[in-house]
Amino acid sequence: MFDARVWLIWALATLVTASSTRNPLYIIVLLLTTTVVSATCPEGEGRRAPLSPLRFATFAVPLSTVFNALTVHFGHTVLFRLPDWLPLMGGTVTLEAMSFGAVNGLTLTVIFSAFSVFNQVTPVRDLIRLAPRAFHEGGVVLSIALTFIPQTARSLNRIRDAQAVRGHRVRGVRDWVPIVVPLLVSGLERAMGLAEAMVARGYGAVSDEAQPVHRAGVLVLGLLALLGGWLAYLFRPAWQTGAVAMMIVGAALVGVVVWVTGRGVRHTVYRERRWTLGDSLVLAGCALTLAITLTQSTALQYSPYPRLELPPFAPIVGLGMLGLLVPAVVTLGQETTESHQTKGIGQQAHLKADNG
Amino acid sequence: MKSQRLTGRRLTSAAIYLLSGALGLVAFIYPFFAPVVAADRAWAHGQDAPLLTAALVGLSVLALMVELQGRSLSAKTVAMLGVLVAVTSVLRFLETAFPMPGGFSPIFAPIMIAGYVFGGRFGFLMGTFTLLASALITGGVGPWLPYQMYTAGWAGLTAGWLRTLASAMRRPRSGRVSRLDVGAGHLSEDRGQAWTRWSILMLCIFGFMWGLLYGAIVNVYFWPFAGGPAEQTWVPGIGLGETLARYAAFYVVTSLVWDLTRAAGNVALILLLGAPMVKALERFRRRFNFEVGDVGQRAGSTQEEAGICV
Repeated sequence: MFDARVWLIWALATLVTASSTRNPLYIIVLLLTTTVVSATCPEGEGRRAPLSPLRFATFAVPLSTVFNALTVHFGHTVLFRLPDWLPLMGGTVTLEAMSFGAVNGLTLTVIFSAFSVFNQVTPVRDLIRLAPRAFHEGGVVLSIALTFIPQTARSLNRIRDAQAVRGHRVRGVRDWVPIVVPLLVSGLERAMGLAEAMVARGYGAVSDEAQPVHRAGVLVLGLLALLGGWLAYLFRPAWQTGAVAMMIVGAALVGVVVWVTGRGVRHTVYRERRWTLGDSLVLAGCALTLAITLTQSTALQYSPYPRLELPPFAPIVGLGMLGLLVPAVVTLGQETTESHQTKGIGQQAHLKADNG
Repeated sequence: MKSQRLTGRRLTSAAIYLLSGALGLVAFIYPFFAPVVAADRAWAHGQDAPLLTAALVGLSVLALMVELQGRSLSAKTVAMLGVLVAVTSVLRFLETAFPMPGGFSPIFAPIMIAGYVFGGRFGFLMGTFTLLASALITGGVGPWLPYQMYTAGWAGLTAGWLRTLASAMRRPRSGRVSRLDVGAGHLSEDRGQAWTRWSILMLCIFGFMWGLLYGAIVNVYFWPFAGGPAEQTWVPGIGLGETLARYAAFYVVTSLVWDLTRAAGNVALILLLGAPMVKALERFRRRFNFEVGDVGQRAGSTQEEAGICV
């Protein structure tokens, strides 16, 4: 499958594109795209969200439609009227407000669907690997937490069983106390053992030094530049170029500190994943979609107010959005090639068996 | 020389906390004052500001993490943090498996209690890592995650400060109760129980407040994008007062009931689990601080490792 960074960029590109328009036709194209990608890309070792995009849509779209229809009293096509004494809801209920609410619900579904795909296809270990080296201690904490979660869940069941044997039944929130406190205490006991094992194996023996003051000073400068630049950007339109430059310098200084801190961390990788042609193709697809989104912002604009009209559809924008479909195309291409190869090997084996 | 370096370190550390906090705050609340500028100068950042805001929140989380990790975490802190994050993430898993009323979530009370006992630094890390780890296991990674991590981190960080406040407020009647007193078991049983009751009261107020604040803060990130009635949506150029009134209307209509259940849930959980959890964590804090060696030289660093000095 693809690199975790590629999937992250794909999800972000979908987010930016979906946030840039309220044209239902483009939103439907994006929804179909994420659905096809979700259906074609294998789950891998990722996690499925507890709520599927379809189930999300079944409550997000009606909820958003009703909420907008009842609270926005604007638009020419009046469906009915609610009494004025009703707070917030009193007034006309229009078709335009309903449509806008439905499109908002669909947009939320697209964003949810894109990140569901990201969660579904990206293994947790690849996500942890995305963390910069400077945060290696954070990575260790996260690894411990993720390793201990199944153990903690097993402990929870064991404690519940043990308490049940002693006649304890969970009927209300109060009954969780004799379960949660032993769970916490047993977890902390395990932490004690783990810490001793880590020290015995030399954890912290070489990296037990605080961050140098000058590095913290650079971080302060970076934050100052970011804050100053952001305030100037908001309050001083005449200084816009300087403000943007300040923010870039600030971000660069923070980035340099993260990079320098990470450089001092020794890093070994077991069987590093190679960058593939598929990764590059997906990135190119995302770049195409983002380029179209940023350059065709006028074509993306649509509002059902004041009178509902058919939304326009620019083919170039629709085609550009199909750039997000590249993961599905590449995956299908790979599967076809693999099945041909398997068939070829099978035929060779048949021939050998016949000759034999 | 060493004391000068220590003072310099503390100053830069305080500056990083202050600046990253200010940056995050400005990024979150920019809709409330940006319109004033826009009205005045007919210039607004309705389109680009939200994207920049997301980048700024991300950078301020990065800077704070560099600072917090830069002081080197001991093996015990790393192990304890990992295990506590695991326990809290399991609670989040329960929440997704068995939906709970409104915005109630069992993860905030443990974050605040841990921050209260182990200090702000530990609380911040626990808040951010709990949200991250639980999002990873429940498939909840999305554009909302940095904002959730940032806000939960600050809930944990300020819980550490609450301890200092609670200790200072107890001073007139029973003398100042320092974290070291409680940690080293120097308090008598009566005073210890009174201190635990006082801590639970403070944590209940704090938990209620953060139950509402969490929703109010996290809402702001998507509010400028949200559609809705004119009296509830953000429009550049309407002025600070009008923006606040619109946000208040939006918050009351869409989130207040939801957040009230979270706030009430936090209070209920702290009342139920607070006292035994505080006692258990205090006991383990003493055990984790125990070190064999030159006590005179190591005492300062050991306290710092457990987040006492934050």
